[in-house]
Amino acid sequence: MSAEQAITAEGIEREIAGFVAGRVNAEVPADQDLFASGLVSSMFAMELVVHLEQAFAVQILGDDLKRDNFRTVRAMTALVLRLRDAEQPADD
Amino acid sequence: MTEPLTGARELVDESVGDRAPEWDRTGEIPEEVLRTLAARGLLCAGVPAAFGGLGATSAANGEFTAHVGSRCSSLRSVMTSQGMAAWAIQRLGGPQQHARYLPELAGGRLAAVAFSESEAGSDLSAMTTAIEPDGDTVVVRGQKVWTTAAHYADVIVVVGRYGSGAAAVVVPSSAPGVTVRRVPRPSGCRAAGHADVHLDEVRLPASAVLGGGQPLTLLVTTALAYGRISVAWGCVGILRACLDAARRHARDRRQFGAPLARHQLVGRHLANLLTAEQIATRVCEHASRSWDDGSPDMVIATVLAKQVSAVQAAQGAATAVQVLGSAAAHEGHVVERAYRDAKLMELIEGSTEICQLILADHAVSMAVS
Repeated sequence: MSAEQAITAEGIEREIAGFVAGRVNAEVPADQDLFASGLVSSMFAMELVVHLEQAFAVQILGDDLKRDNFRTVRAMTALVLRLRDAEQPADD
Repeated sequence: MTEPLTGARELVDESVGDRAPEWDRTGEIPEEVLRTLAARGLLCAGVPAAFGGLGATSAANGEFTAHVGSRCSSLRSVMTSQGMAAWAIQRLGGPQQHARYLPELAGGRLAAVAFSESEAGSDLSAMTTAIEPDGDTVVVRGQKVWTTAAHYADVIVVVGRYGSGAAAVVVPSSAPGVTVRRVPRPSGCRAAGHADVHLDEVRLPASAVLGGGQPLTLLVTTALAYGRISVAWGCVGILRACLDAARRHARDRRQFGAPLARHQLVGRHLANLLTAEQIATRVCEHASRSWDDGSPDMVIATVLAKQVSAVQAAQGAATAVQVLGSAAAHEGHVVERAYRDAKLMELIEGSTEICQLILADHAVSMAVS
């Protein structure tokens, strides 16, 4: 997807939901707990990290790797928005 | 284009020379060899240039790792540990920790990563090593086993429990309370400096803690990813050394009036070795491309590369031993070392069976095509 589409929270959320759905073969509500529902293994969690980094040009390091940031599609959206804000000061 | 690893193979060949059998026998790589390669950043060539590293791609570092592995698996194993420590710091640490530790590792300090415990090998949930905050310090307690390269390491990245999750902590080997005891005569990679590491109330500044609070499995999966791709490429090197020794012998040695290679049952061994080397190379190239593209495919591709390469190397080394016969049936011969070293690669960084479980999970969960 292009960066333009991803810039809104809605766009980010839609993209992440699409990736998750493709990986688990099911539609996943944005507030569904992926860990509690057993959808996410540690391998898939790492795929999510790498996917978010690639799709949204962010780096997810250190403390940001904590589980709560990946618990739901919505939490990942919030993480991406926060990291994009932090990494793009006064840029176009 | 400036290739960051220019001259690296020549330096390794010069440093190793014909001494790999001696290192295997004595269980020791001379310190100046490790220091020379470490000071050039070659033991963790993936560290970005911004932190004083060589900034090699996974593909270039992988081919270099295979070269080292074809010469000496013990040295390659030390390299895997150093690279994994740097990767763990890069991935789990914050900007200040990157700035502090990565230039050190790219500039000559030697590092290891301690995961395993006597009751917590594949079953990480049994891990008991604890990193406990105490004001602006932390106290580390635990007993790690089979820590590759710990014998040589200046710093050991120790994985342990931290709060409700896990963390890694950078422990100087010289810190009070750290005891490093070598594993006596390991069966493979004998000079890789495997050691047990005891951490008895080791007090460190809180700034030595990388991340903190991540799920233990995610933290270990993240750190191990580098170890797995590195081991996989190391196995490619083992296969290349075995193929080279076997085809030379089969060409030069004559029995029943013909070179061994002309005997069809020997020819089949050579074909199998070539096939194994090509399979392992391609699966590693694929995984490294995923790393270099930043693709989420890198996660499973890395496990697949480790699994395929280690199994192929163990089989390939056994095949090479068979081709060389009594010519290689003595301690320290390149294929005799390969036979022991390759088998060890099926045990570490996720055993063959653990990798199969991960791949089976993936097969079940992957999208239907």
